[in-house]
Amino acid sequence: MIRMLGEIIQQIVFGIGVCLVTIGAVFDLLAALGLVRFPCFYVRMHAATIGVIGGAVVPLIGVSLISLVSDQLGPYRFMFAGISFFTALLIMITAPVGTHILANAAHKLDLSPKEPIIVDKMGEDKR
Amino acid sequence: MNTSWFLSLYIPVITCVFIAAITLYMYRILRGPTIPDMVLGIDCMSYDLAVFIALVSLYYDTSFLIIGSLMISLWAFMFDVYISKYYLKKELGD
Repeated sequence: MIRMLGEIIQQIVFGIGVCLVTIGAVFDLLAALGLVRFPCFYVRMHAATIGVIGGAVVPLIGVSLISLVSDQLGPYRFMFAGISFFTALLIMITAPVGTHILANAAHKLDLSPKEPIIVDKMGEDKR
Repeated sequence: MNTSWFLSLYIPVITCVFIAAITLYMYRILRGPTIPDMVLGIDCMSYDLAVFIALVSLYYDTSFLIIGSLMISLWAFMFDVYISKYYLKKELGD
């Protein structure tokens, strides 16, 4: 009875992991399309955020869940799950910092044209 | 639970999607009009590559390839910080 319940829980965890990896792949393809099609750098950053959070953090958590129930990986599968989850957490913390600092540098030095623009509060403050 | 039979069918399909995304990012890296576009493309491609390495190590049933995923995610963050610090230092003048 207990053994059967364990099997069912393992299959549910495996299904959740596969769903997360599939969602991540779809988000990643949409973000790549957005990065190609969007008009300027400051709009492309939105697509880049989708590609980082939806396309890298979510599938890494899914890979961690898959590897946790895969017995063919041997006793090192807990190391696999831990490093994968830690990588997801690290990307979730560091990627917004990198994007913000890059946008700050690009805005301060006018590295890229701000062509489709409505309001620019930061540029008004600088003047 | 042995999931090898499912993963050997599932992971090639998913890696095809990730390779298509990496190709589109590569277009932006090569054609990017300005430097921040290229940096943004390299950033996204590095995080994609981390997921790609994780999937490949799951496909080959080995646990040691996953360490490269951790390293490449740290490298992408360092790349952003170095590029923007280089430009801001030029602006501050010291």
